[in-house]
Amino acid sequence: MKKIKEVLLKVKEILLIIKTFIKKIFAYVTKYTGIDWLKNKFIHLPNKYKKMVYGILFIMPWLIGLVYISLPIIIRSIRMALSDKYYFITGVGWQITGKWYEFTQFKRIFADEPYHVSLIVDTLQDVAVVVPLVVIFALILALMLNQKVRGIAIFRTIFFIPVILLSGNMLMNFERNALLTVPAIASGEISGFMHEYLPGIFNDAIFGAFGKIVLILWLSGVQILIFLAGLQKMDKSIYEAARIDGASIWELFWKITLPALIPLIYLNIIYTTIIYSNLSNNAIVQIINVHSDEAQMLGGTLTDEINYGRAYSAALSWLLFFIQLAIIGVYSLIVRLSSKRYD
Amino acid sequence: MPVSKKMKIKRVLFGRNEKSGLLFKIGLYVLLIGISFIFLYPLLAMFAKSLMTLEDLVNSSVSWIPRSPTFKNYDTAFVWMKFFSALWDSIQVSIYPTIATILSSSLIGYGFARFKFPLKKLLMGVMIAMFLIPSVLTYIPTTVLYKDLSILGIRLDIMDSIKAFYVPALFGNGIRQTIFILIFYQFFKMIPDELFEAAEVDGSTTLRTFITIGIPLAAPAFLICSLYSFVWYWNETALARLYFGSDYTTLPMALDSFIATYSSMYAQGNVSMDSVSSTYNIGVQYAMTLISIVPLLLVYLVAQKWFVEGVDRAGIAGS
Repeated sequence: MKKIKEVLLKVKEILLIIKTFIKKIFAYVTKYTGIDWLKNKFIHLPNKYKKMVYGILFIMPWLIGLVYISLPIIIRSIRMALSDKYYFITGVGWQITGKWYEFTQFKRIFADEPYHVSLIVDTLQDVAVVVPLVVIFALILALMLNQKVRGIAIFRTIFFIPVILLSGNMLMNFERNALLTVPAIASGEISGFMHEYLPGIFNDAIFGAFGKIVLILWLSGVQILIFLAGLQKMDKSIYEAARIDGASIWELFWKITLPALIPLIYLNIIYTTIIYSNLSNNAIVQIINVHSDEAQMLGGTLTDEINYGRAYSAALSWLLFFIQLAIIGVYSLIVRLSSKRYD
Repeated sequence: MPVSKKMKIKRVLFGRNEKSGLLFKIGLYVLLIGISFIFLYPLLAMFAKSLMTLEDLVNSSVSWIPRSPTFKNYDTAFVWMKFFSALWDSIQVSIYPTIATILSSSLIGYGFARFKFPLKKLLMGVMIAMFLIPSVLTYIPTTVLYKDLSILGIRLDIMDSIKAFYVPALFGNGIRQTIFILIFYQFFKMIPDELFEAAEVDGSTTLRTFITIGIPLAAPAFLICSLYSFVWYWNETALARLYFGSDYTTLPMALDSFIATYSSMYAQGNVSMDSVSSTYNIGVQYAMTLISIVPLLLVYLVAQKWFVEGVDRAGIAGS
């Protein structure tokens, strides 16, 4: 027993020596590399600057990501869209042909690919019809869910289920099998009636919307909650005052509820446009997805670029981005103009 | 009928002031139930079809209720997908990036919420602007970039492995990560300043304040973000196929490859209406879709409150 104790003591001593040794080395290193000096300076900084440094340290991951990942991706994307061919040669690196100001890919889309142009127009039309409908439905559903009746929580649970299905390829699996249209609605009496009595242009839009009724409802989950949150934050006393003054429910909605929700309408327009135009059931996204399949894109060789390669896809996706901006812009303008009288 | 009784009936039916009337309530319930049906229609139709035998699927007079309900399609689907290995892959593919996302988002959100530094407004603006850029736009350049990504001179080699999911998430570039950063930002903003000041007066370092005060008080944010991130990574198939297609086969990826095989067989004429293969039919496909959704559905039903809270608390509605 005694021996073991002695051995243990010796081990402890040795460990202590090693520890002090490492500490000394560490001190030397910090002293001569300037870390010590920096630390000293830092401690004596005023609190305000200290906080600044800490803040930047905290967001460091994002800054690094911005500099090394996000920005390069966007720059590359622009360069790709403005090039003729963008390909990889082993040992040499990425090659770019074509001058940026020639806009080769954009010219090609509009001059040589009428089918893709028609798909782009379809996408524009589709997003333009679906976005306002989603926002309007979300508003109506939020008003319904805001009523205080029993069992409303169950309905909220149901209305929000699609949130787990609205990413990746899941929605496609439903749409491909025509499960996103309720047959009775899409091809029943109502749409037959519409077909007969409405002019052609409306007809297509409304008919299309009827066919997409499930999709529109599914897309409105998050928007409903945004509206609900806004509705629940509203001051009850304003309603009471208005009601005492003799306002009807109709007037209450148009003169109190709606004006208060206008900022949220903008938000929902933006959110819906982004989410909807990035879902994979979109024609442009599909072209890009099909042509950027594993075998084609990852090789990165010149032969991949012959048909619809990286450069072409990049140009298409920028077009999609512009479509998004246009739709957000137009609808925001409409909301702005029509809400002017509330100011 | 006396006037008072008439008034009473009227009050019950149409309501008075705050209380809504019976007619209104009935109308509301009818509408809500109808809309709920439309919401659930695709899932219900899918479930009904997945229980059908081949004969029922082909028979156009059977639309909702199978004549002889069977779980055979599920059996086939389980075997075809290699369910347990696919489930394990799915869990891995969703959990690693989720952990990375939460780690970095909480740090970044804390940095933006609690500290003042130059260009903060601009940087937040840039972050939100990045969110507006469609993901499909970054799709191809991302694969090009990830091929030889190196950060601070360290070559990362993230392509062809699950790293391609969680390394970008560590640097704030995960799937829709801006939303998570904003949620954390809002949560940390809501904690009163006095708490942090008190801790600092008592001599707590900044990192320690973050761990002992920030994290516990923002616990809901951690839950909300992990749920959403889990779901989004779970469903992601296009990127997964591109980044590490051969290493992992998640449930949705198995489903996708089943659909691809099925439709190519269909195109070649191997599957026709009268000689439907017992493996490749729409019933099996629906069964597979439901199987790959069910884990998410369970997560949703258990944690439903937090999914809903996520939007409420993200503060988007308020600011």
